[in-house]
Amino acid sequence: MQFDDQGRVNKSKKRAVFNQPEAKNRVELFRHLPQYEHGSQLTDLESKFLELDSMHPAVYKVGVQYLAGDVTGGNARCIAMLRAFQEVINDYSTPPGKTLVRDLTAKISSYVSFLIECRPLSMSMGNAIRFQKSRIAKLPLTLSETEAKAALCNDIDRFINEKIILADKVIVRHAATKVRDGDVLLTYGSSCVVEMILLYAHELGKQFRVVVVDSRPKHEGQALLRRLLAKGLSCTYTHINAVSYIMHEVTRVFLGASSVLSNGTTYSRVGTACVAMVAHAFRVPVLICCEAYKFHERVQLDSICSNELGDSNDIARVPGRPDVNSMDNRTNEKNLQFLNLMYDATPSEYVSMIITDYGMIPPTSVPVIVREYRREYLLI
Amino acid sequence: MPDIQALVSDLASKLRKRRVQGSYETARLTAELLCAVILQHKEPTTNGAASLIEAVRRVGEQLIAANPVELAVGNIVRHVLHIIREEDLSPLTDIVGELKLSAEDDVEDIAEDENSQKSSATTDGCLLKPPLLLAVFEHLPDSATACQTFSSENIFAGKGKKLKSELIKAVNELIEDINTCREGIAEQAMELIHQNEVILTLGHSKFVKEFLCAAKEKKRSFEVFIADGAPKFEGHILAKELDKKGLKAIVITDSAVFAMISRVNMVIVGVHAVMANGGVIAPAGLHVLALAAKKHDVPFVVVASTHELCSLYPHNLEVLLNEMRCPSELLNFEEFSDCIDYGIASSSSLLHVVNPAFDYVPPELISLFVTDIGGYSPSYIYRLIADYYSSEDLPPQQKPAS
Repeated sequence: MQFDDQGRVNKSKKRAVFNQPEAKNRVELFRHLPQYEHGSQLTDLESKFLELDSMHPAVYKVGVQYLAGDVTGGNARCIAMLRAFQEVINDYSTPPGKTLVRDLTAKISSYVSFLIECRPLSMSMGNAIRFQKSRIAKLPLTLSETEAKAALCNDIDRFINEKIILADKVIVRHAATKVRDGDVLLTYGSSCVVEMILLYAHELGKQFRVVVVDSRPKHEGQALLRRLLAKGLSCTYTHINAVSYIMHEVTRVFLGASSVLSNGTTYSRVGTACVAMVAHAFRVPVLICCEAYKFHERVQLDSICSNELGDSNDIARVPGRPDVNSMDNRTNEKNLQFLNLMYDATPSEYVSMIITDYGMIPPTSVPVIVREYRREYLLI
Repeated sequence: MPDIQALVSDLASKLRKRRVQGSYETARLTAELLCAVILQHKEPTTNGAASLIEAVRRVGEQLIAANPVELAVGNIVRHVLHIIREEDLSPLTDIVGELKLSAEDDVEDIAEDENSQKSSATTDGCLLKPPLLLAVFEHLPDSATACQTFSSENIFAGKGKKLKSELIKAVNELIEDINTCREGIAEQAMELIHQNEVILTLGHSKFVKEFLCAAKEKKRSFEVFIADGAPKFEGHILAKELDKKGLKAIVITDSAVFAMISRVNMVIVGVHAVMANGGVIAPAGLHVLALAAKKHDVPFVVVASTHELCSLYPHNLEVLLNEMRCPSELLNFEEFSDCIDYGIASSSSLLHVVNPAFDYVPPELISLFVTDIGGYSPSYIYRLIADYYSSEDLPPQQKPAS
């Protein structure tokens, strides 16, 4: 949705489930993206709990988890959403005078717009929703309600199993062949697939070192660091500014992705593009690990046309630095703005290979997979 | 002399404990200290300049050893030595002017062709042809050297006090230059920033701030994206100062520089030191920024003053001139203290935290240097080195005893 179009924004506000005040000091370049005041959102939504009788509690719970940041990462968010939809379908009963297909689709759409209000959809979630809606639309009319509901729940289970859980296992097997003894592997932020790869390679007995690169404001790498250390991997932790210092000892870079677009651009956590660029400059291979359900037929040239804006107070506030923090009450000053980008687009020339459940492919083969295999999962 | 020694040890300890930081501060303090050294130096009647050079060099070695990473100290020391040599030998140019010999050619160093080439070009101001001159020298060795030593003795005996006063004047000019270099840099802002420009910078540099404020005063309107420059987070300080001056500032994280650079017209940064090949030692994160700027063909402008100009070549780039900062800036020790125990079995810690302070940016990634004496491309830096430093003062070879 275009947030620079005032008419549409007003219309969507009327339909909105909870009140979200827009951020006052918005960066001009990103006027087309939603930017909200983050302080009051969670309390507002929690207060509305008893009023939202049209909202299924499972969906409400997932929405709150998204808003609070408890569930992060493309796979986790997608699985949480699909499980919530499973509960919705199980509890669903067709109202008199309406068909199951149309009514259920409308319900799912309204839940999806609620989830979008909590946090904009990731591309993996978008694909999953499209799959869901197409399964509902393709239901044979001869099925009774219970049979239809069972079929849909079954489909969701198969989707999660085949497209996410099994796909991860295949990716891990493929990627572990790319880890040799004596390697120094670099990863950025925290990707669940990359973590699985590192732990699996360690279990296979390969001797390697890991470099975890992290950045503000989320410091997601610290959680990954803790889990790797617990399993006994030797780790080096550094900040994204030091990536050019550390890159001369790195042999491979493993990165996760939120999505891979049809022009080979990788859409992932902000900072991934910097890491891939430096790796390319030092001639270190960059391997993106991404399940095939995250591929998308959209194309994107830069990180500005489509992105997600986070809380600007996260940038203004620096933990543990009172001299710098005198700024955090100034987020609404006219001249001073804070920009918290969540994603960025890595150009395809920086990526050596993408490891998916369909195999190891170059970035140029992504539209081929989208075209050839898109039909397949619609036919599950 | 004990007075001077106390001052020297005082400054050396401040440098060692990092109480004095930043090239501007250290340069100013070093210059003032060397001025005091020259002032209090009791020189012998003959060859006073050589003893002065020796005294300054000794003090300089002490200061450089206190903080080897702070290159401004070495720069000022070598600059002062260059000034001494220049002042000392300037009368010689009048006497041997007909032979068109360069004043810098110490009689002993005739064999070093390259040095004489560089230094000859500067002190005279006109380009000479050393190979021909050397040929002349070789043919008439005795008479030329005899003539020189004879005349130099006379000159030194007569000059004595005059040398010192000239030197004090020159070093005071140097201190003045250090203090006013900002104006020279800020003047050039108008030539580089146009209306509605979008500028990207990282961290905080006084020169960049002066540069941008100068453009703002001349009524150019532009906006500045500032990357906060972890782990020092000086970008926030710069944003605050620019906001006070009425400039539009947007603070972004360092990870977002690649995302934003496609919409930026120019990158302007300040650096720690400029090396002789045109590369720079800059705060961590600037190499990433330079690569991104190169990829998008955005001009990468480095704002530096001449006292940041260093006559060293960066051979082992990341390691030798880098300083490792405290790991607690990255990881909270209390949160991770349990992880440190994991490696006890293998007798080495599993967790290493790397926090380098500086990055090296090679000259290919830099478009322009804006200095207080004008704008130059990286390929010209070696010429500026010759203007400010003498070849004899280049870093001494490591003596086996030390």
